[in-house]
Amino acid sequence: MKRYRRELSVTACLSALLLVLAVVAPAFFGRQQLLTTLTAAAPVLVAACGMTLVILTRQIDISIGSQFALCSVAAGLMAKAGLPMPLVVLGAVAGGAALGAFNGWLVAGLELPSIVVTLATFVTWRETLRWSREGEFVKDLADGFQWWGLGQGRGQAVILMGALGVFLIGVIFLKKVGAGRFFYAVGSDREAARLAGIRPAAVTFGAFVILGALVGVAAVLNAVRFADVDPKTGTGLEMQVIAAVVVGGVAISGGRGTLWGVLVGVLLLACIAPALVFLKLPPQWEKAIQGAIILLAVAADGEKGKSS
Amino acid sequence: MNPPALQIRTGSRSRPWLRSELLLLGVLIVESLVFARTGTHFATVGNALEILRLSVEIGLLAVVMTPVILTGGIDLSVGSLLGLCAVCFGKLWRDGGLAWPVAALATLGIGGMAGGLNAVLITRLRLPPLIVTLGSLSLFRGLAEAITRGVDNFTGFPPSFLMWGQGYFGGVIPAQAPLGIAVMIGVGLLVHATSLGRSLRAIGFSPEGARYAGVPVGRQITVVYLLSGVAAALAALVYVARVGQAKADAGTGYELLAITAVVLGGTSIFGGTGSVFGTVLGVATLAVLRNGLQLSDQPGELAGILTGVFLLTVLAGEMAFKKYSARRVASGMLQTSTASSKPASS
Repeated sequence: MKRYRRELSVTACLSALLLVLAVVAPAFFGRQQLLTTLTAAAPVLVAACGMTLVILTRQIDISIGSQFALCSVAAGLMAKAGLPMPLVVLGAVAGGAALGAFNGWLVAGLELPSIVVTLATFVTWRETLRWSREGEFVKDLADGFQWWGLGQGRGQAVILMGALGVFLIGVIFLKKVGAGRFFYAVGSDREAARLAGIRPAAVTFGAFVILGALVGVAAVLNAVRFADVDPKTGTGLEMQVIAAVVVGGVAISGGRGTLWGVLVGVLLLACIAPALVFLKLPPQWEKAIQGAIILLAVAADGEKGKSS
Repeated sequence: MNPPALQIRTGSRSRPWLRSELLLLGVLIVESLVFARTGTHFATVGNALEILRLSVEIGLLAVVMTPVILTGGIDLSVGSLLGLCAVCFGKLWRDGGLAWPVAALATLGIGGMAGGLNAVLITRLRLPPLIVTLGSLSLFRGLAEAITRGVDNFTGFPPSFLMWGQGYFGGVIPAQAPLGIAVMIGVGLLVHATSLGRSLRAIGFSPEGARYAGVPVGRQITVVYLLSGVAAALAALVYVARVGQAKADAGTGYELLAITAVVLGGTSIFGGTGSVFGTVLGVATLAVLRNGLQLSDQPGELAGILTGVFLLTVLAGEMAFKKYSARRVASGMLQTSTASSKPASS
């Protein structure tokens, strides 16, 4: 029980919020409202699964917002060119993996600090996209693009199932598969991992590639919710995702954390904006409350570290 | 024992930052020469002063970010804090009815308090600065949005205040330039000519080691983040005076520009080595790049792309040099040991 204290305390926070909502504003749990909230959170969850791997290995990636925008626009352009949806998804995932591999090569291969590397790629990709699109939306997409051509209700179900599938595969991979444990090993002690026969550089590279591929998935899951693709999409996504991962209890110093915690973190942060609306509070407080939650969550970590 | 080997070791360790600064100075000169040919009215005194005028805010943030990064920390919240301070200043002046100098002083206090919040979380609770300031980045921007309800825009500031961002001393020198230069020299002296500055490096290399050497680690780190908060407030005042309005989104992304300038200037992101002079060169390189491309009729996005490419090139070059010199030191030490073992065996 003690091992999962953080997961439990964040779950308690989320439950308390949901309980208040159930009493004060039961409309929050209306079918349509709930689906909207959850589908908006689905892309964040998918990206957060990848970010968890990267943070577990003691690295960070702040370029995912730009990767997300590139993948979204690429997916939009591919759909417009008449490619079938499965190929569009595959293309976006491959593109994301390639962008992730570039970061991974710089971090794992050249041993450059990940925060500066991804700061540089963050600026470079975003500006490249701005230059090539000049802010222009990708419009007049094929009929099969929005909601996968299934209509809103079934489209939302596909998005949720996709995100849930990625999450469950991640849980099994990190808990039950040997390769999944490598990420914990490299993050807690790189040298010990090396002596145990793990190649830390390969694992780190892998984490960045997987994150890139999942950002590609997230980009498609997000893009299909709309009729056209905004090239400015994904601005600030990196902060949202890192915040959710940290609130979920993944240690920024690597080697500790679970995907279940991340799931609760994503849900908690995703509920704040709609909760403010339903509790009739000014919606502009969303970011401030999110910031306060992050600080509270890490402060709780600090107190715990001090007492033990 | 073996003089050449020793020379190599001291040579590469005594001033590791000088190398990247020279490199950057070279980039700055080449860049300026190129733009002098391609840009209309680039190589004029007026344009140089204009570049100075526009880079004071980023300069303030970057110069004070240098000691933060020297301690092995980082402050991601400065851009958001700039926004919060700008909005607070506007609120205090317009709705609080304070005279602008009083409101400005209060704003500096708010900046200090915000920096203090970061400092307390980092030093008292021993939390990683990256995460603390990521949280406060959200919090400060959120508070700015909450105060303005996302739409309020403060304008119509008195000319005596706007003068500090739009006026010129003697019709030539931008009014905010002396302020920026004074802060730059002050922080430069603090980092390079005081025991505080030296202890910051020690903390960056090893906080535990510094603690055993008698450095009050918590107090020094607190000073650094307090300074960062006050600098963000100062930058906010200059920003509002220059632009003439205060909105909640002021300074978005400035933290990344400041960090880029610091790292370009040769300060190690892991702490321990770096210089304020390098940071100033970094700020200048970025500012000249932006201005020069603009005057050469190139798209503004190119500046961002080149900034990223610069950053990666400088880092990769530095890492290659570090590995190369480490190998030379290692082979030098090998020679020393074989040379000293020879007489013993014979």
